[in-house]
Amino acid sequence: MLSVKNLTKSFNSPSGTVKALEDVSLDVDTGQFVSIIGKSGSGKSTLLSMLGALDTPTSGNIHVDDVDIAKLSSAKQTAYRARKIGFVFQQYNLIPNLTALENVMLALEFGGVKSRERKARAEKLLSDVGIKADQQLRKPSRLSGGQQQRVSIARALANRPAIILADEPTGNLDSETGQKIFELLHNLSRSENTTIIAVTHDLDIAGKTDRTFSLKDGKLTKLSKS
Amino acid sequence: MNVISRGVKNSMRSPLRSGAIVLMLAISIGLILSMLVARSSVNAKIADVKSSAGTLVTINPAGINGFAGGGTPFTSDQLATIKATPHISSTTATLSDQLGSTDTNLTSSLELGSFGERQQRFDSPAASSSTSPTADSTSAATRPAFTPRTAVTGTTNPDSVATNGGSLTISSGSTINGSGSDLVALVGTTLATKNSLTPGSTFTAYGKTITVSGIFTTGNTFQDSGIIMPLATLQTLTSQPGDVTHVIAKVDSSDNVNAVVSALKTSFGDKADITSEAEQAATSVASLSNIANLALAGVIGATIAGAVIVLLAMVMIVRERRREIGVIKAIGGTSQKVVAQFVAEALTLTIIGAIVGLGLGVLVSGPMTSSLVTSSQSSTTATTGTNRGPGRAFERGLGQIGTNLTQVTSSITPQVFASAIGITLLIAIIGSAVPAWFISRIRPAEVLRSE
Repeated sequence: MLSVKNLTKSFNSPSGTVKALEDVSLDVDTGQFVSIIGKSGSGKSTLLSMLGALDTPTSGNIHVDDVDIAKLSSAKQTAYRARKIGFVFQQYNLIPNLTALENVMLALEFGGVKSRERKARAEKLLSDVGIKADQQLRKPSRLSGGQQQRVSIARALANRPAIILADEPTGNLDSETGQKIFELLHNLSRSENTTIIAVTHDLDIAGKTDRTFSLKDGKLTKLSKS
Repeated sequence: MNVISRGVKNSMRSPLRSGAIVLMLAISIGLILSMLVARSSVNAKIADVKSSAGTLVTINPAGINGFAGGGTPFTSDQLATIKATPHISSTTATLSDQLGSTDTNLTSSLELGSFGERQQRFDSPAASSSTSPTADSTSAATRPAFTPRTAVTGTTNPDSVATNGGSLTISSGSTINGSGSDLVALVGTTLATKNSLTPGSTFTAYGKTITVSGIFTTGNTFQDSGIIMPLATLQTLTSQPGDVTHVIAKVDSSDNVNAVVSALKTSFGDKADITSEAEQAATSVASLSNIANLALAGVIGATIAGAVIVLLAMVMIVRERRREIGVIKAIGGTSQKVVAQFVAEALTLTIIGAIVGLGLGVLVSGPMTSSLVTSSQSSTTATTGTNRGPGRAFERGLGQIGTNLTQVTSSITPQVFASAIGITLLIAIIGSAVPAWFISRIRPAEVLRSE
């Protein structure tokens, strides 16, 4: 269960204080697939940063399983990210000099998985997202965009996170590949009962998620609920 | 794959750049080693010079100068005071006397000459007011004939009589034990010839029979006309137990000569004339000290250069991988782990640079040190003149490397090696510290902002 209450994030700029998020509140049940749409600069990425403990809010609370992550120390926030959160980025953000397998094993290492167990688990995760054995030993530069995003999803799933935060997961992919990635995420939320919050500008994809929110000028509006 | 192996792997991410960094580091570390070796060798030379040159302090009873002047010899207690003075490593004590015709059966081998006559004019009671024995022929005719005397030196170290600063040359027979008290003597070659003495011969002096142990030669006519005895023997024969008229003290280092002179002056006041070679020692060390300082400046300069190379390289790498660092932090990597990974990368580059640099240093520091410290190394290249062709050149090259290795191996002390390793680590640490600070300031949220 994810519960956000009165979340506000302000930044100081030369022209004064800018509110990137203003009094945002939302509740997401475990296993739900939620999408957030909004224009560039509407605060989508800032909201994901707060939910993923990458940044701290100016005010408000974020409760994940009854723990207020906004109040955690820096070290505990890092541990929270490693074990409870999976990130999927628009530009995949795989480590370029590590193979697909090593990228997933890296997340397992940060999650505290014993070194002798990492390889087998990474192979299974990659296999589950459709990366073949020979592709697992390739570096990201030798994989297609869709394959890289699958590796990114496998990395996000590595430590069986409570929440996957996806920032424009299909933004760099063609529509057919994007559709496949969306289906992969959708199936995961069903099979693994993982909460997925995806920021997207693709209304077609947003329409297929369990719930959709809209962000405009830092304010959140609920659009639909399935 | 752990933090260390990722750091090592990352160091080879861009082979061209890594190669350039390693090369620059290698030159810097090679220079550091060369300078350390040179400094170590120069310091060894300085220590050598300090322990041998200008370390002698001469202490005479006030007023006594050889057989001339007047004063009271040092007593055994005063000699003990000299020996107990800090930093004095050894002493040579001497008692001087002269044998007249009534003291010995030896005939002096010295020609008296006008100088000798003038010095002995006071021995005649009738000539006490004369200033020139040859000026007044009338009064000279009334005096007994002048006879040259034979100098006797009682010493704890017969080598101290040598005029070349080294060992006394014994032309036949054997030397004497200066610390003993036997009735033995070394006889100067001129005196021995004059009196037909050979090792084993005897002569009388002070009413005792003295055995000739050996014949010495110094090339100095006065010395070669004299006799050397053990100090204690001469003290007994002349009824001057414990007395000495000349002491040479050896100081452990020329650095301490002034302190020793000062201490002796405090102990003896105006009862002793004390002279030293401190200024000569300082001059001989000054030029070497300048080279040592130059080498130290080289070490510091090369260290700074090495640190700056690693620093700039790592800053460039960190800036380049800002997003990657953000991603690692976002997926749960701690700042410490990221810093450790980059330090491992910097260390890998530094260690490779150090290995290449140390090899480079071994090749160049031998000739560099030789040119700084020694004047020539001709013995190793004398046989290569007639050898021609690439094969021979290769062999000569290998030979030179072998020579360098031998020279440097003898100069690379554990301290020099430890210093080189320490400085290399210092380079890596300084070179990594600022990038580490950059890394700790990269916030994981930036990975999303830059999307």
